Amino acid sequence: MGNKIGVFICHCGINIASLVDVKALTDYAKTLDDVVASKDYKYMCSDVGANLIKDSIKKHKLDSVVVACCSPRMHEHTFRGVVEAGGVNGFNLEIANIREQCSWAHEDRVRATEKAEALVRGAVAKARLLEPLKPSKIDVTPMALVVGGGIAGIQTSLDLADEGFRVYLVEKTPSIGGRMAQLDKTFPTLDCSSCILTPKMMEVANHPNIELHTYSEVVGVEGSIGNYKVRIRKKPRFVDMEKCTGCGDCVEACRLKDRISSEFDMGMGKRSAIYMPFPQAIPLKCTIDPDHCLMLTRGKCGTSPLCVEACEADAIDFKQKEEEVEVDVGAIVVATGYDLMDPSSLYEYGYARSDNVITTLELERLISSSGPTGGEILRPSNGEKPGSITYVLCVGSRDETECSWCCRIGCMSALKQVYLLKEKLGDDVEINICYTDIRSFGKGYEEFYRNIRGFKTNFFRGRPSEVRDMGDYLSIDIFDTTTNKLFEIRTDLVVLVPALVPRADADDFARVLRISQSGDGFFLEAHPKLRPMDTFTGGIFIAGCCQGPKDIQDTVSMASGAAARAANILSKEELEAEPQVACVDEDACSGCSVCISVCAYNAIELVKEDDGKSHAKVNEALCMGCGACVGACPSGAMQQYGFKDKQILPMVEETV
Amino acid sequence: MSIVDLTSMGESQVALRKEINERLSRLQDEISDYCFQCAKCTSGCEAHKLLELEPHKIVALLKRGLIDEMVNSDIIWTCMSCFKCRERCPQKVAPVEILFALKNMAVASGKQIPGKYTAMLQSILSIGLIQDVQSVMTRDSKTLKRDDLGLPEVSKPVDVAKFQMVLSKLAVEKV
Amino acid sequence: MKKYALYPGCVMPTEQYAYEQSIREVLPFLDIELVDIKGFSCCGEPMKSVNQLMTLYLSARNLAIAEKQGLDLFVPCPICHLSLSECQRVMDNNVEMRDRVNGMLVTEGLKYEGTIGMFHTVDLLHDVIGVEEIKKHVKKPLDGLKVATHYGCHLIRPSEIGRPVDSENPQKMETVLKALGAEPLDYPEKLDCCGAMLSANLPESALTKTGQKLQKVQEHGFDVFVDVCPWCHRMFDSRQVKAGETVAAKLEVPVVYLTQLLGLTFGVDREKLGLNLNLSPVDKINLGGK
Repeated sequence: MGNKIGVFICHCGINIASLVDVKALTDYAKTLDDVVASKDYKYMCSDVGANLIKDSIKKHKLDSVVVACCSPRMHEHTFRGVVEAGGVNGFNLEIANIREQCSWAHEDRVRATEKAEALVRGAVAKARLLEPLKPSKIDVTPMALVVGGGIAGIQTSLDLADEGFRVYLVEKTPSIGGRMAQLDKTFPTLDCSSCILTPKMMEVANHPNIELHTYSEVVGVEGSIGNYKVRIRKKPRFVDMEKCTGCGDCVEACRLKDRISSEFDMGMGKRSAIYMPFPQAIPLKCTIDPDHCLMLTRGKCGTSPLCVEACEADAIDFKQKEEEVEVDVGAIVVATGYDLMDPSSLYEYGYARSDNVITTLELERLISSSGPTGGEILRPSNGEKPGSITYVLCVGSRDETECSWCCRIGCMSALKQVYLLKEKLGDDVEINICYTDIRSFGKGYEEFYRNIRGFKTNFFRGRPSEVRDMGDYLSIDIFDTTTNKLFEIRTDLVVLVPALVPRADADDFARVLRISQSGDGFFLEAHPKLRPMDTFTGGIFIAGCCQGPKDIQDTVSMASGAAARAANILSKEELEAEPQVACVDEDACSGCSVCISVCAYNAIELVKEDDGKSHAKVNEALCMGCGACVGACPSGAMQQYGFKDKQILPMVEETV
Repeated sequence: MSIVDLTSMGESQVALRKEINERLSRLQDEISDYCFQCAKCTSGCEAHKLLELEPHKIVALLKRGLIDEMVNSDIIWTCMSCFKCRERCPQKVAPVEILFALKNMAVASGKQIPGKYTAMLQSILSIGLIQDVQSVMTRDSKTLKRDDLGLPEVSKPVDVAKFQMVLSKLAVEKV
Repeated sequence: MKKYALYPGCVMPTEQYAYEQSIREVLPFLDIELVDIKGFSCCGEPMKSVNQLMTLYLSARNLAIAEKQGLDLFVPCPICHLSLSECQRVMDNNVEMRDRVNGMLVTEGLKYEGTIGMFHTVDLLHDVIGVEEIKKHVKKPLDGLKVATHYGCHLIRPSEIGRPVDSENPQKMETVLKALGAEPLDYPEKLDCCGAMLSANLPESALTKTGQKLQKVQEHGFDVFVDVCPWCHRMFDSRQVKAGETVAAKLEVPVVYLTQLLGLTFGVDREKLGLNLNLSPVDKINLGGK
């Protein structure tokens, strides 16, 4: 192609140079056909390196550039920019990875250098055949979807709405608020959780830019960055939202009052079939539970439904139907939160066997003054005040047989509850804490822990093997490694601190969104350090515990961060699409449609020609460049820009 | 450099530790290195309350390479092989299996085998079972033997000589 | 008739005759035929503390002998069951060990192929035969007898290699007992060890474990204590008096094998079930007729 190729070898400090003979490699590159310049430098990604490339392009009138350096995941983007700045199309660049694929993988100097030579040879072979590519433009819909109405979703929505973007906030349960609404106080400041949360919830309710969809779920996501089409299923409340005043008369009147286990109270209390999840719910509207309501399950409720009789606003509507709504957005932020592991799987701790073995969140509902016991701490078995409470930390956490990860908030939640219990039950209550490590890493956390150490609490360093229900009391044998003694603790109430796990429907939802999950099931961030809110799917961001367990401050930080990442897209009128998309040789294409059947992005359609034949056509805006269609195409008509067979095959031949 | 345990003036016995770890990985999938001393094993150990066995300590000493003090001790023979430690360990360590390895080492190094083990071993070598047919008492103080109950003959190795040959060779081998 | 090769181990055939008697009496009712095979030896588990390679060899040779018959094994002793199971696991997953052990088996003309399955009394009754079939043969139900079940340690752990019963909440015996009309109840000490494996070198400590558990069972007011292991039974029944002396308590707990209780409900004669050999006060058990 009349190509003048420049080869630039990076030492990467000693990362490459300590094993690969970079000088010899530079000399070798000069010997290859079409290579008119071959240079090496210590850090090609630096300003000096960039200038070296730009100057060489000008001096030698280069057509294509090969950079032999680290993985393209690191700096391909950087070098594309450098090459463009030098006056050459950014896609006339080929990276030879002589670090991750060579110097970091081997130990023999001579053979590593030989391999580096082969890799450079291959890269040059491809460089000879590279074509300039122009990214296509995508229009951006300046609206955002936020999935999940907990503190993360609330924060993200407010940030984006304040910046002027329209936000659709979708929440599965009847009210926003999430886990924070279930808490009494937060660590380490002991702020009242509702008091700091409800102002933000009110802001969301009143914000002109936020359209709130509660008791709704995202059921379908199509499109790609800048242009998503989202289907939202709005479940029927059987209550007219316009008429309902949230007075709660229906709840009091309901025939099933205090008969149904309350999800908000983690099963520690009961509710009616028509219910308000909690007093500060937003929206402050009642909802009817379709699984228990007599009218909905059996078609009749006594002589007539008592809620209808009680409702002065005539807001009950049993004829309500589910609705589906479609919205267009440019970016999506996922903030769907977490679940607590069910400790029944660690049967030895007695959660399934005894009423007096409960989890931290269940205790939190007892501590909360708006909870089922009005803030009184009572033993579930007999309703009496406990004289002794014992915590078991790390139940299912840091456990290779359950959840291998640390739950991050368990230690601090337990310590916070200890403070509140001492406050409520007085100094005489005996509190025992069985821990493996105390992780009090955040700002103000160590001070809080020190405070609790100063209280009269008994810390035992060890994990109990089992919790035995002796009827009147619970018995725990614990070996305390600080004193090297075995203690038998006889206690009234055992509180387990369970692992934090992804939501039960995380797998299914990840599929709807087409985002990845990490090995533990939480949603996967693009890079744990540098891109913690991005996913590998363009335009979709994650915030809060759906990415991994974390406390409220980290959740809020991440939520604002995700909002900024989303705003990055939404603030642009158009985006550049990656040009390495699929392309069809329309003459060679027989219209077999195999490519259409493998495309996960619905980016290919069948187009009829005048003579009755048809061929595939790629929508470049939707194409993600995954290559599935290229691999599937039986005739080779489907190719990918930048990775065409005629570019790859010579590369393979030359390398080998 | 060196690390010395000042109570016993013992240094790490790296080779022995490696030998035990290799043996453990050949027979199970558990590795002792992952232990973080939560002591869940000792909290539930059936032999701890009575005989003061501390499985987590056994693992810690193995990690430090202080093998001799365990091999020469009596404590390793207190394990009841109830397997609770292996069952409940959150890091998949098996103190019970480490103890079997240490006991084997004690025997192989010529230390005296405690209690009835020698008798059982000899019985296996001669008749293939840990004991021969016993006379038992009934609740009303009569004596009965297996033959009196009309039960078939006890199953024992057919070619005793070959059986004994293999076992004698085995007796001096290690896993 | 379903056929199983019986692997009796050491303790049952040489001492715990009642277990063997009750098994041979009860299983034919349930369409199970036991085949006796010559040439077995100890499974090797009692020798694990002395030489684990010997244990492996002994288990492997017994499996190899059984394989020659082409029948699945019925292993009434949980110690044997664990030893054989662990041996199978090592042999099936570690090629090096498998070759080494097979090399040793050559002298006796044996080879381990890994072709047969294995059952203990509890999973044979619960999984293979099933409670519906068992119910059919119950002539004298147990009338709400309060039963304390004892699974022992080797039957339920380590769950990692696969055991016939759940390790933390075993219920298979309870299911069978309910089908017999009994009332099996949970108790905090249910999973406690009998101490048998210590009797070789620390007999008094072993008896202390036994006595402590029986004391608790007695305090809870159970009518009968049911076990499925000859080593456990030897401690709880044959040595109950000694155990009581060791913990300074008067122990009068009726202890029977599950198969003995089963036989009683089927209407089998007490002596045929070896009940005369139980040294604990089994006459105290009130059943629907003697």
